[in-house]
Amino acid sequence: MAPPMIDPALFDQLKSKIEEDTNVRKELDQIIDELNQHVSYTQGVLSRIHSTPRSKYEALLGQVENGIKQEIQTVGRLSAFASQYPYYKYNHKWSRTVQDAISTVILCAWLGGMSPESKPGEVGRLLTLEDVGKAFEVPVNLKDRDAFHITIEEYLLGLIAVVDDLSRLAVNSVTLGDNAMAVQISGFVKDLHAGFQVLNLKNDTLRKRVDSIKYAVKKVEDVVYDLSLRNLIPAQGSQ
Amino acid sequence: MSGSKRDWSGNAKRRDGPKPAQKQVVRNAYTPMFELLRNELDEHHDRRERIVKASRDITALSKKIIFSLQRVRKIESQLPANIQAEVDSRLAEISKLLATLAPEIQGINRYRYSRNLMCLEELVEALTFAHYLKTQTLISHAELSPIVEDLTQKGAVTRDGEVMGDASDTAGNAAEPAEAPTTEDLPTISLTEDDYLYGVFDLTGEMMRFATTSTALTGSMASGQAAGAGGDEPRTIVQDMHELGTFFEMLPVGPESRFQWYKKLEVTRQSVRKVETLGYDRIVRGSERPEGWVPDLSTGDQGQRDELE
Repeated sequence: MAPPMIDPALFDQLKSKIEEDTNVRKELDQIIDELNQHVSYTQGVLSRIHSTPRSKYEALLGQVENGIKQEIQTVGRLSAFASQYPYYKYNHKWSRTVQDAISTVILCAWLGGMSPESKPGEVGRLLTLEDVGKAFEVPVNLKDRDAFHITIEEYLLGLIAVVDDLSRLAVNSVTLGDNAMAVQISGFVKDLHAGFQVLNLKNDTLRKRVDSIKYAVKKVEDVVYDLSLRNLIPAQGSQ
Repeated sequence: MSGSKRDWSGNAKRRDGPKPAQKQVVRNAYTPMFELLRNELDEHHDRRERIVKASRDITALSKKIIFSLQRVRKIESQLPANIQAEVDSRLAEISKLLATLAPEIQGINRYRYSRNLMCLEELVEALTFAHYLKTQTLISHAELSPIVEDLTQKGAVTRDGEVMGDASDTAGNAAEPAEAPTTEDLPTISLTEDDYLYGVFDLTGEMMRFATTSTALTGSMASGQAAGAGGDEPRTIVQDMHELGTFFEMLPVGPESRFQWYKKLEVTRQSVRKVETLGYDRIVRGSERPEGWVPDLSTGDQGQRDELE
């Protein structure tokens, strides 16, 4: 008797493999949903920055930090669960959400939140990829082992979102009478723009998003131009 | 000669004056950080480029194997010698390419570049097809994986003897020039279930083409050898296609890309239908054919033209 076309064991093996894959995705969806909620909340609180004078940052940032704590907790759960599986197999599922979470942390820190005791409330601090990893208590740019981490791309994309938000803040800080803030943002955004020029980009998402930085630069420069035209730039430039 | 620059009162500026300091890339506090990130990203992009190149070559070679196999006319345990020779030489080339690929896709990088590794599906298609033509069975994932691993390691060993043309090989190969490495230490390529499944999806298309041409040219449905005296009728490719069709219908939808899955499943259904019709034609009209009658090949080809890709 000739062997059958398909070994029955093969079907069972593949079926259970697909089912396992499906279940992992379901579980991930749940965690990512939760992370999304915390990120949305935190972003919402952060958006108040546009209508809050600098003197009241501290209270606002305290609230933001609470949201971030929730993010960190959920990222921890995500990390623990996802590390059981090949990282890049599922990375695309959470990458976007993690980018947004990274943005909230970078922006919060830039505005003076999450600051080290030595320099409380210092505005203009940029968290590096390593700092972001420390904040979330996860590794970054892992290469030697297969586990959850934050990638360079995620960090850069998160940073670009911050640049965009800051260009908006430049406008609104002037409205609130804080011209020095606009000048400081201008310096920061220009420096970052120069930094992004250093990268060799391929024609991918990152490149498209990097291209958008120039609009942020333009927006901020326009604000500074308006100010300088009217001699409204504070004598002690914060650059 | 371009025009000269002038100052505000219209006097031409001297061109040979002291040149302004060479324009420096604007450096600031963040430049070093971006330079580090750039190097990391470059490494990733370069690796992907190398993978894409090797992958494209493997795909082309696999397709050539499939074309060779489509010149087989019946299922039997030995492929015709000339075709076997073609397949072997292609496989030897694939083997070398796999060996260059292997160090690039170890560990975390296996899935990082899985989208650039379509060649594995194509290779699965070629290997499963060859296996079917020889044994009339579907090789399982567990049987196929070691074959691919073996190919990869063999490629590394044969390549070792030659002067390595590819200097861009990275860390993964650093240990290689040492005395003849045992195959166990060599990086290999693991075949994922998805590679396997999508390869087998494509196998149905090849089986359909094989069924069509072999039926047209030999006048009988491809089937196994008659099983001894008094045994059951040997299985034909129609039954095999049915079984493969059922196999995929019963499997849960692969969650990696449902869209892809449904598309492939639909193509599989069409292939099954075509082979069914072929079987029906054989039964109904086959008896009317005079001995040695060969159908007009041009019509036989029409049915599959849209299936070529």
